[in-house]
Parts: sequence; structure tokens; C-alpha cells
Amino acid sequence: MDIADFATQTLNGLQYAMLLFLLAVGLSVVFGLMNFVNLAHGTLYMVGAFVGFSVATRTGSYWAALAAGPLAAALLGAAFYFLLLKRMQAAGPMKQVLVTFGLIFVGIDAVRWIWGEDSQSILAPSALGESVSFLGLVYPAYRLFIIALGLAVALLLHLGLERTRLGAVVRAGVDDPVTAASLGINVDLAFFAVFCLGCALAGLGGVVAAPVLQVYPGMDVAILIPTLIVVVVGGPGRLSGAFWGALLIGMADTFGKVMIPDFSGFMIYAVMALVLLLRPSGLLAARHGS
Amino acid sequence: MTGGEDFRRHCVAAVLLAAALMGLALLGYSGRDRLAEIAILVIFAMSLDLLVGFTGLVSLGHALFFGLGAYALAGLTTMAKIPPSLAMPLAILAAAIAAFLVGILAIRVRGVFFIMITLAFGQMGWAYFQRSRTFGGIGGISGVGQPDLGAIGLSLANPADMALIAIIAAALVYLGMARVTASPFGRMLVAVHQNESRARALGLPVQRYKLAAFTLAGAIAGLAGVLAAERTNFVSPDLLVWTVSGEVLIMVIVGGLGTLVGPALGAAVWVLLRDYLSAVTPYWMLAMGLFFVAVVLFADEGLYGLAARISRRSTRDA
Repeated sequence: MDIADFATQTLNGLQYAMLLFLLAVGLSVVFGLMNFVNLAHGTLYMVGAFVGFSVATRTGSYWAALAAGPLAAALLGAAFYFLLLKRMQAAGPMKQVLVTFGLIFVGIDAVRWIWGEDSQSILAPSALGESVSFLGLVYPAYRLFIIALGLAVALLLHLGLERTRLGAVVRAGVDDPVTAASLGINVDLAFFAVFCLGCALAGLGGVVAAPVLQVYPGMDVAILIPTLIVVVVGGPGRLSGAFWGALLIGMADTFGKVMIPDFSGFMIYAVMALVLLLRPSGLLAARHGS
Repeated sequence: MTGGEDFRRHCVAAVLLAAALMGLALLGYSGRDRLAEIAILVIFAMSLDLLVGFTGLVSLGHALFFGLGAYALAGLTTMAKIPPSLAMPLAILAAAIAAFLVGILAIRVRGVFFIMITLAFGQMGWAYFQRSRTFGGIGGISGVGQPDLGAIGLSLANPADMALIAIIAAALVYLGMARVTASPFGRMLVAVHQNESRARALGLPVQRYKLAAFTLAGAIAGLAGVLAAERTNFVSPDLLVWTVSGEVLIMVIVGGLGTLVGPALGAAVWVLLRDYLSAVTPYWMLAMGLFFVAVVLFADEGLYGLAARISRRSTRDA
């Protein structure tokens, strides 16, 4: 592997990592707040991608799809929150997880029903359709856009979490929800806002991935597994955990495929097993012993 | 759990067994094959119940050991040319060893994390067999060796005999697991489930109990996988895909956690409902998913628990 190859693979890894980050951040922070993992998170990603596909075919505009996908996912997430999650809070996290698990089956068949069985794709916007050359590399502009978008989202979330009032509420809720609530903070509202934002980011991930990966029923589970691994490896509840976890898994997967192709699908599981052995609560856990 | 409750469970198990044997006598070729499938899934579901219902370890990767048992049998008989009667116990052993190794890592985390870890390990196995050239990739391996049962007048190639053997195996696994779960070991698993900190405070080696349960459940799932490979004479990565783990978890929860007979009932209901719905609509998973969500929301003691509650109420009213 020469330097140009290495640089190209690094960019590929970075692009995949940013996609994983968009999905993992919602799951991870929601877990920190509610001690609950939405296994149907991938379904929102899939719905975002398919809604984006429909909007892109109607309007011919990628940017309209990029707005519609996250909106649809957030609305679906909000409906899900009010219809099921909120009513089940007393029942404990395990029951909530099982319900979201049942919804994976519902989601796949609902998407097959509405959009059919075929693989679809969204065209990258024409401005980003070409490859660009820099530093002796030739690389697709759209993939650079994914990297930039992921980094921008990470920066915005970081600033939002550290500098805004909602961010302070969320941090308090993750650290100690009982104390936060007894101090008069509306933790429930923060839960809801964070949950919807996480769903919107999953939908955003779906549209962003669509020009690179295929849009098909079942794409939800394909992304859910690496996303869960990112959450586990990074340690749930932390923005930084989701970010560094995504980076580690994205790179491990990309370089694993190039360097040891025989075990290509294996690398991320090996990383996960290693992290669990050394640090059972993840690299950057928010709460110890949880 | 009282002696009366145990008795009730054994009665329901006996009724299920009688229904299976009656079906075996009355049904035709495909009906008997379906019976064999149900009996195998009953074993698989009961093995998961040991984890989920008794020990409180919700696994979403149990198909890994089901698939490993099947693949080990196929590999040993077709590649290593080991006689099937020896390969079958070896395949179960392979599943047990794999469960032991995965268990060491998986039991380090708890609750929702355990779900994620087991799901990831299950998908790892699936990804491996999908790409493995040794094991035939997506195409899998056909022509699994069958043990010669001519001495007792049976042949696994015949669905009626296959179903009979699967039903007998399911009955034996039920009896064995009923004993294990009623033993001090089984009581300890329930103690770990109910209150892990208390069990630990009492000096129980909690992690060792969890690992033992995980290994035993993996071995029994391996047995189910071995029988599944014998039934279809074919193994493929489809045996390990996450939906298989998911469906067996649904069978356990729909049937009734921690009752053994409930998951057996759940397996039968699942297969029959699936056959019925998939004949009516191509979107049967949607209906099954909603059915499952409804059970989790409104009847979390499962079908068996629901039936037991209704029968208790009616005997009290009478």
C-alpha cells in the first residue's frame, strides 16, 4: 500500500465513520438519558432514505431530499415516542427495547409495502457529482461532502451540548437524572427533544448514505449492527464516545477490508471484543457501573 | 413456583406431546415435515428460555449456536468424513465450546448491552459463513451425513421418522431442562435474575453461573441445529441470520418466559401463524411484528401465562 492508497483509504474510513456517527450519536445520548436503546433506530435511517428517494424523484432535487428525510424520521420518532415510549416508561427499559425490536419487523415490511422490493438510489447533487483532485489524490467530491457534513454536525452538537441551556439540561440528565429532576429541570422534555434530534440525524444519515450505498428494505439492519458496535465501543451517553467510537470502527472496517480481505467482515467484531475485554463499559463511558 | 404450578406445566407439556404424536399419525408428508420443524424449534426456544426466562440474559444472537451446531455437523460429515453418529455429539460439543468462549465476553456486560453484544456476535458468525469458501459461502453445504438408524427400522430421510426423532428429542430436552431448572443450580439462576446484587452479596459466583447457563443454552441450541441440518440435509448462512435469533426470542416471549412449556407453545404458534399469514399476504412479517408488540405491551406473561391466569380465575370462581 503506497501513500496515495493509504490516503484514499483513510478518506473512505473517515466517510464511513461520519455516517456511523450520525446514527450512533442519537442512540448513544438517548441511552445515556433513558437507559434505553431504540433497536428500530435503523428503521428511521431507512425511512429517511426512502422518503428522501421519493422527494428526490419528484422534485429532482437532492437538497429537498436532504431536508425531507430527517423531517420524516423526526416526525415518525415523535409519533413513536408519544404512542409507545412515553406510555411504557414505568415498564422499564427492557420492555421498551423489545417493543422497538418488534418494530424492526414492522418497519421492513411497511417499507416493502410502500416502496417495493427493489434497490433504489438518490443521485448526488450535480455540484458534487465529480471527483476533485488535491494533493495528488483524485477523490469523489460527494464523499468529501459526507465527511464535512459529519464533522460539522459533530461540532454543532458539541457546541450545543456545552454552550446552550438544553445542552446543560441534557448533560445533567445523563449524569444524574434523579437529582436533575428534583432541581426542577424538565428532564422529560429534554428526553423528547434529544430523542427527536437523534431520529432526525438517523434520517439525515439515510439520505446522505443513499448516493453511496443502496436504498433497500433491510438497509436498516445492515447499518444497525455496526452502529450498536460503535455505541458499545465508544461507551454510551457521550457525544465524544459516539464520535471516537465511530472513527475507530469506521477505520477498522475500511482498513480491515483492504489489509486482511479474508476476514473483512470480522475486524469490527474483533475491535469490539478487545474493547470489552479491556474496558467493559466502553472507551469513554458516561457513568461507571451502568 | 409451587408444586402445583410445576404439575400444570407438565400437564400442558404432555398435551403438546400427545398433539404432536397424533399429528404424526394423521398428517401427510408435508405436515410431518412441519411437525419436525416445530419440534426442532421447540428445543431451540426452550434453550433460549434458560437464558432469557430463567437467568435474565436477553440474547439476540442465539442463532449463532444453532447455526454452529448445524455447520459443525455438515463440515464434520462432508469434509472430515467422520461418521454421523460420532459427528452429532461432536457438533453439539463445538456449539458448547463456542458458547463458552462468546459467553466469557458477553457476560461482562448487562441488560441492554447484553442484547447488543449478542446481536453483534450473531451477525459476526453470519458474516463469516457468508464469505467462507471452506463452508460454501452463501450456497452453504448440502448432503449432510445421516446416521444409519436401520437397526431400529428408522431413516432420517423419511419425514415421519425425522419428526418422530425430533419429537422424542424435544420431550427429552424438556424433561432434562425441567430437572435442571428445578435443581439448586436452576434456583441460583433465578436468584441471579431476580436480584443480581443480592445474589452477589450472598457470595454466589454470579458470573460463573451466567457462563454455565450460557454454555448449556448454547449446547442445546447446537442440538437443535444438528437436528435442523439433518431435517433439511442442507446448511446455509440463513441459519444464523439475526432474524432467526429474533424469531426464537419472539417465540419465547410470546409463549411465556421462564416456563419452558410456554416457549414450546410459542414455537408451535409461531410456525403455524407464519404459515397461515405468509399464505395470505407477502407482508406477513408486519403482522407478526405487530402481534409481538401487542404481546409485549398487553400480555407480558405470554400465552401460557395468560392461559394459566384465566384457568386459575375460572377454577377459583367455580
